[in-house]
Amino acid sequence: MREGRYWSIFLIPGGIWLALFFAVPLGITIAISFGITDDLGNPVYAWNPENYSRVFDPVFLPVLIRSVGYALVATAVCLVIGYPVAYTVARHGGRFRHLLILAVVLPFFVNYLVRTYAWVTLLADDGLINGLLGTMGITESGVAWLNTPFAVVGGLAYGYMAFMILPVYAALDRMDPSLIEAGKDLYGSPAATFFNVTLPTTFQGVLAGCVLVFLPAVGDFVSAQLLGGPGTYMVGNLIQQQFHDAQNWPFGAALTVVMMAFLLIWMVFYLRSAARAADEGVA
Amino acid sequence: MNRFTRRDALRGAALGAAALGLSGCGMNRFNPSEAEAERPISAKVDGDLYYFNYSEYMDPGLIKGFEKRYGVRVIESNFDSMQGMLAKLNAGNRYDVIFPTAEWVDKLHKGNRLRRIDHSQLRNYQQVTSFTDYFNDPWYDPESAHTVPYAVYTTGICWRADKLGDKLTGSWRDLWNEEAKGKIYVLDDFQEALGMANLLNGFDLNTTDEAELEKTKQTLIGQKPLLRGYSADTITTMSSGNAWIEHMWNGDVVNVRNQVDSPENYRYETCNEGIPVGSDTFAIPTNARHPGTAMLFIDWLLDPEHAAMNIEYCGYPMPNDGGYEAFAGLAKDEPSINVTVEQLREGDQFRSLPRDDLTLWNETWTAVKAA
Repeated sequence: MREGRYWSIFLIPGGIWLALFFAVPLGITIAISFGITDDLGNPVYAWNPENYSRVFDPVFLPVLIRSVGYALVATAVCLVIGYPVAYTVARHGGRFRHLLILAVVLPFFVNYLVRTYAWVTLLADDGLINGLLGTMGITESGVAWLNTPFAVVGGLAYGYMAFMILPVYAALDRMDPSLIEAGKDLYGSPAATFFNVTLPTTFQGVLAGCVLVFLPAVGDFVSAQLLGGPGTYMVGNLIQQQFHDAQNWPFGAALTVVMMAFLLIWMVFYLRSAARAADEGVA
Repeated sequence: MNRFTRRDALRGAALGAAALGLSGCGMNRFNPSEAEAERPISAKVDGDLYYFNYSEYMDPGLIKGFEKRYGVRVIESNFDSMQGMLAKLNAGNRYDVIFPTAEWVDKLHKGNRLRRIDHSQLRNYQQVTSFTDYFNDPWYDPESAHTVPYAVYTTGICWRADKLGDKLTGSWRDLWNEEAKGKIYVLDDFQEALGMANLLNGFDLNTTDEAELEKTKQTLIGQKPLLRGYSADTITTMSSGNAWIEHMWNGDVVNVRNQVDSPENYRYETCNEGIPVGSDTFAIPTNARHPGTAMLFIDWLLDPEHAAMNIEYCGYPMPNDGGYEAFAGLAKDEPSINVTVEQLREGDQFRSLPRDDLTLWNETWTAVKAA
C-alpha cells in the first residue's frame, strides 16, 4: 500500500500536463460548442444546442463520407508501402536497421505544413515531377496533379507514413524469426508463410499503424487545403472555416466534438482488440 | 510582395492560435467606453511602435527609416485575415497601429474599439484631402474620424492573353469560360466569391435575401466542374501557369506582372455587372499603449515620397497624391488595374452585415464548398 502511494507521486507531472493541456481545452471546446456569437464574432457561453443539430445537416454528409474515404485510401496506401519497408528494415536491415529507421523518421522533424508545401512545388504543372516525366518522354504536356483527390490522398499518405512503418517495424522486430523457418519447414511457399505466419503474428502492429494513420487523416485539413481542388473539401477544412472565415466558433466546436466522438468509436474498437490480443498472449 | 500568400501559409498557425486564445483567455470581453475611444492623441513619440498588419504589406525600408528617424523600435506582428486580426485584439493583445478594411472599421469603431484620429495632427494629411474629398465622410467612418485611408483596390478577373486572346467579354461570366476549363480559380474568400455571383445574377453585392442567396449558391455550385480550385494564393497560382483565368485583386495582378517574364500576357478586367471596391485603413486601437508614435508613423507613410516607395513595394494604390501618382506609373501598361475615384464612389463595397445575415452568408459559402 505504502509503496503504491510512493510510485503514484510520479503520476503527478503527467496528470497536471493532461489536465492543463487536454482536459481544460477539451472542456472549453465542449462549453463553447453550446455557445453563441456576438456582433463582433466573439464566442459567448450560452445554451444553444442548435449547433449540434446543424452538424447533422445533410449538406455536410458528403464531406464526412469524403473524409472517411480519403483517410481509408490513405491508410491502405500507407499499409501497402509501409509494410514492405518495415519488413525489409526489420528482416534484412542488419546492423543498419536503426540507421534506416532514423531515415524513415527524419523527414518528420520538418513540420507537416512545410512538407506539404514542398509537394505543391513538386506537383505543380511545371514542377519537378512533370519536368522529369517530360525529359523521359513519358508525357508531352505534363499531368495536372495538383488540385485533385489523388494529390490530397497522396499528401495524407505521405504525411502519416511513419505512423504505419514504426508500429509494424516494432511488431516484426519482436517476432521470432524461427516462426518463419518453421513455416518453410512445413513446406509453406514464401507467400503462404507470409500470409499464414508473418502477417497474423504482426497483425496487432498493422492494426496500430492503421489506427494511427486513419484517425489524424480523417481530421486533416492541410492536405486538402494546399493540394486539393474545388471538390476535395474535408471535415478538417469545414471546421477550420468555421473558426477562421465564418467566425462561428460555437459551430466549429460542435463539429469538433462530434468528430472526436466519431473517432473515439474507432479508438475503443482498437483498444479492445489490442487488449484481447494481449490476453491471448499474442504480441 | 502580396496580400495573400500569408493567408494561406498562416492558416495552420491561425487555427493553433485560435485554440490557444480560447484556452488562455477564455471569453475575456473587451468593452471600452466611448470616452476612452474619443480621447485626443497628440502626435509625439511615446514609446516603441507595435505594428500589426498583413505580412509584406508595407515596404520594410520605410519601417527601418521610421525607426531611425524617431529613435524607436517597430515591433511587427502579422495577421492573415480580418477575422484573425479581431481574434488577436479580442484576446487582449495591444497594438498601436492596425490596418482594418472599411467593413471592419465600421464594426470596430461602433464598438468604441478605435481611437479618434485628429487629422490636424498629421502634417501630411492634406495629401489625402487634396487627392479626393471621398474620405472626408466615407460610409464606414463618419468624417474619417477614426481612420486614415491606406490602400484601395478593386476585384476583377486576371487572364492569360497568350492563351485566351486579348479580350474577354468584360462580364463575371468570364469565370465560366469553357476554353479555360480546369484552369480557372475563384478567390477563396466567402465575401468575394458570393459577391461575385450576386453581381452576376443582378443582385445587390451585399444581398441578404434568402432566395437570392440560394440562387447564388446554385450559380457557384454550377461553376465547380469548370474550376481548378478556390485560391488563397492568387499570385502563385497565376504566375506558376496553373491558372489561365483567375478571380483577383488588382494589386495582386501588379505583383504577378512584376514576377513573370512577359507581363503583357497577364491582363486584368473589371466587370460590367459591378466592381467590388475595397479600402484598407490605418487605425489606432483604443487600448494602444503608444498612440502618439502611431500618429507619427501614419504621417510618415503619408509623406508623398514614402507613399510612392510603398506602392512600388506592395503593388496596391494608396489614395493620396504621392501614392496615386506612383501607382498610375505602375498601371500605365494595363490601365484597368488603376482604381479611380469614381470607382471608389460608385463601386460596390462590402458592408458589415448583421450577425444573422453574416451567418446566412457563411452557411451559403459552406454549402458551396461542401457540395
